[in-house]
Amino acid sequence: MRKFAVLVLILTLALFSAACSSDNAGSTGTSGKTKATGDKELTVAIDQNFITLDPHNAGDTVSIIGIRSMYEGLVGFDKDMQIIPALAESYDISKDGLTYTFKLRQGVKFHDGEQFNAEAVKANFDRIMDDANNLSAKRSFKFVDSMEIIGDYEVAFKLKEPFSAMINKFGMVPMISPKAIEKGTKYIEANPVGTGTFKFVEWKQGKTLEVEKYADYWGGDQTNVEKVKFSPIPENGSRVAMLKTGEADFVYPMPQQNVKQFKNSKDVTIEESPSTIVRYVSINTFMDQYKDLKVRQAMNLAVNKEAYIKVVKDGYGHVLDSTMAPETQYYAKQKAYEFDVKKAKELLKEAGYENGFKAEIWGNTSSESVKGMQFIKQQLAQIGIDVKIKSMEEGTLSDEIYTPAKPEDAKVQMWYVSWSPSSGDADGATRGLFSNEYYPPNGANTAYYNNEKVTNWIKEANATADPKEQEKIYHEIQRTVFEEAPWIFLASDVNLAAHANNLEGVYVAPDGVINISKAQLK
Amino acid sequence: MWQYLVKRLVSLIPLLLVVSFIVFMFIHIIPGDPARLLAGKEATAEEVEMARVSLGLDKPLYEQYFIYLKDLLTGNMGYSVKSGAPVSQLIGDRIMPTLGLTFLSIIWALVVGILIGVVSAVFRNKWPDHLGMFTAVSGISLPNFWVGLVLIQLFSVQLGMFPTGGAEGWSSYIMPSFALGAGIMAMIARFTRSSLVESMKQDYIRMGRAKGLGSRQIIFGHALKNSLIPVVTVAGLQFGFLLGGSVVVETVFSFPGLGTLLIDSIQFRDYPVVQAEILLFACQFIVVNMIIDVVYSYLNPKIRYE
Repeated sequence: MRKFAVLVLILTLALFSAACSSDNAGSTGTSGKTKATGDKELTVAIDQNFITLDPHNAGDTVSIIGIRSMYEGLVGFDKDMQIIPALAESYDISKDGLTYTFKLRQGVKFHDGEQFNAEAVKANFDRIMDDANNLSAKRSFKFVDSMEIIGDYEVAFKLKEPFSAMINKFGMVPMISPKAIEKGTKYIEANPVGTGTFKFVEWKQGKTLEVEKYADYWGGDQTNVEKVKFSPIPENGSRVAMLKTGEADFVYPMPQQNVKQFKNSKDVTIEESPSTIVRYVSINTFMDQYKDLKVRQAMNLAVNKEAYIKVVKDGYGHVLDSTMAPETQYYAKQKAYEFDVKKAKELLKEAGYENGFKAEIWGNTSSESVKGMQFIKQQLAQIGIDVKIKSMEEGTLSDEIYTPAKPEDAKVQMWYVSWSPSSGDADGATRGLFSNEYYPPNGANTAYYNNEKVTNWIKEANATADPKEQEKIYHEIQRTVFEEAPWIFLASDVNLAAHANNLEGVYVAPDGVINISKAQLK
Repeated sequence: MWQYLVKRLVSLIPLLLVVSFIVFMFIHIIPGDPARLLAGKEATAEEVEMARVSLGLDKPLYEQYFIYLKDLLTGNMGYSVKSGAPVSQLIGDRIMPTLGLTFLSIIWALVVGILIGVVSAVFRNKWPDHLGMFTAVSGISLPNFWVGLVLIQLFSVQLGMFPTGGAEGWSSYIMPSFALGAGIMAMIARFTRSSLVESMKQDYIRMGRAKGLGSRQIIFGHALKNSLIPVVTVAGLQFGFLLGGSVVVETVFSFPGLGTLLIDSIQFRDYPVVQAEILLFACQFIVVNMIIDVVYSYLNPKIRYE
């Protein structure tokens, strides 16, 4: 019995010593050991599980991270979301914006040894367009009418109507080996076969994805990493712990609140990169109290954006000075609404709301959203707007927002939310949000912003194939919308990642996708 | 006994039918639209409608239920809305880790809990009792996610003894099962103590002592066995809960179990996965309860089932 009592004592002590050591662990930073790197194995810790590895059916960022490590499209995106050639050496867009001709790269082999050529592109196109397959990539091609093989290494796509973001959409459609396509969707989901710098080894659902270096990559020797393991680790603390123990070499997203403890670390570097995610509060312009432009401008003036970034985003973010983030195509900087409570009060008085009014803000239940909404509440209280916070579980919230069939039925007043265009294009950052043809349930214009001019400009931008003309139109749209303030413009995000110091060449693009193709381990 | 078990198993069928109906209706009635979540934020009304049709969610609810029931009877649990993977595969991938974790947690909780309980009862109101009950109170009051994070900090980050998470190899099971079992261990210790203290007051114990039996024989041979009925009840219930996967501990340790799958699926309104998982939990609970009944009759032969 005495022995047992001693054991119990030791256990209790161990628990308490652990509790104490956890308090100061933060300040000691990374005392952790870095894994032996002779094996050139890279572990990337991410925050969610992969949903699918079918490159024509993935919509979520994490799945796209896995897919882009193995697959390439005709064109790709660089570090700043600019279009770069990939499997196509060059492309040409006809003057009417209706024909896209691609010159394909020669000597490219899929991971299964199949040749990449015009036939392969055709096989991919046919798979996507086949309704029976029900693939999400079909939406990237919704303006595409037909595809034509011009030569062994030349293809042309014909559009039904011009679409300004079409070239970005080609970047969203990776090419699968035609032999894999023949074997059907089930095979593709379990056996990805692309042309990328890494090829598939194993995917354990809910656990890890492993890829290894592809020796015959067309671009030559891009990386010295032999094997990459992606580990989904949803818990922030656990993901950070993996970085400390050396179990992970690259961690994304890096939780804002954990950045400090790595400030003076010799082993770990924190990387900040711009993101296309914008944070805002949409204001239902259809409702009486928000109809007046002065009210919406007053709301923008009453919110201190610098303080918002400090308080809610732990200092990681940039003041949103347009309707889109700087990394988005055709972005144009506007003059941000300066924090000015006095002027805001005057505007509100002019609008007939001298004593303010009662309002409601909706958002999801994440702690950051709740914090954000509380901040907005506190700021708007300065000008007499009494905001009630209603935070709802995501599915319920989405129902509340998207169920009303007509603007007059909508109950949403303000929505605290974020947006990012899936392929970094201006159309994706504009049409669904500001065209009056895209009110819920048809789109995400939850401000019910109604400006016929803007709706037409969006159409005009699509109808022209001239990038200069498009740029001019999108600048005009941004200027107009920003001035008419259907949103409280808050901030654009910063992507935070962390990596071991012996790792180079891995980065997070503005759309949140990790690029490992040029990873170098020292 | 066997007759009783067969009877219990047969009575499972209507019960599961009722459970399947309730689960199906509840999950379909709560707000949230898998079609919209599947179509994505940039989707137009038309695209959402297309997704709805492809998921079969455009049909009337009763028709959807009968299709679901028909598939279920032929052993087809359907396909995940989110990933398109067969539900049987999603659950199959995760059931073994959860089972392993559950067994490990409950076994160490039982062994240590009963030991602490016995020591506390025997040395009632002396220091081993105080220490034992202090351990038990700590086990109940320390939240398991906190214990989990402390374990990671101590044994993974500082000492590098165990991996921070995952389910690769036995070493990754140790910390989560400790975090998960701590509360149960504490509960079992308290129940064992109070029940054993009661038993020790009984006449047959005095009789045993009078007969000249040693205290070890009295405690382990007679008193303990009679004190275990409430302990088995508690352990059984907890076991049932654990089989459903512990969301919190699984999340802290990035453990690929059923709990996190359920949470992900509910958030995405992944109807087929949620339905299958809840049905599975119901089955597990019923089976665990049957096992508890059998253990009762072993502990107390007076308990007999017809």
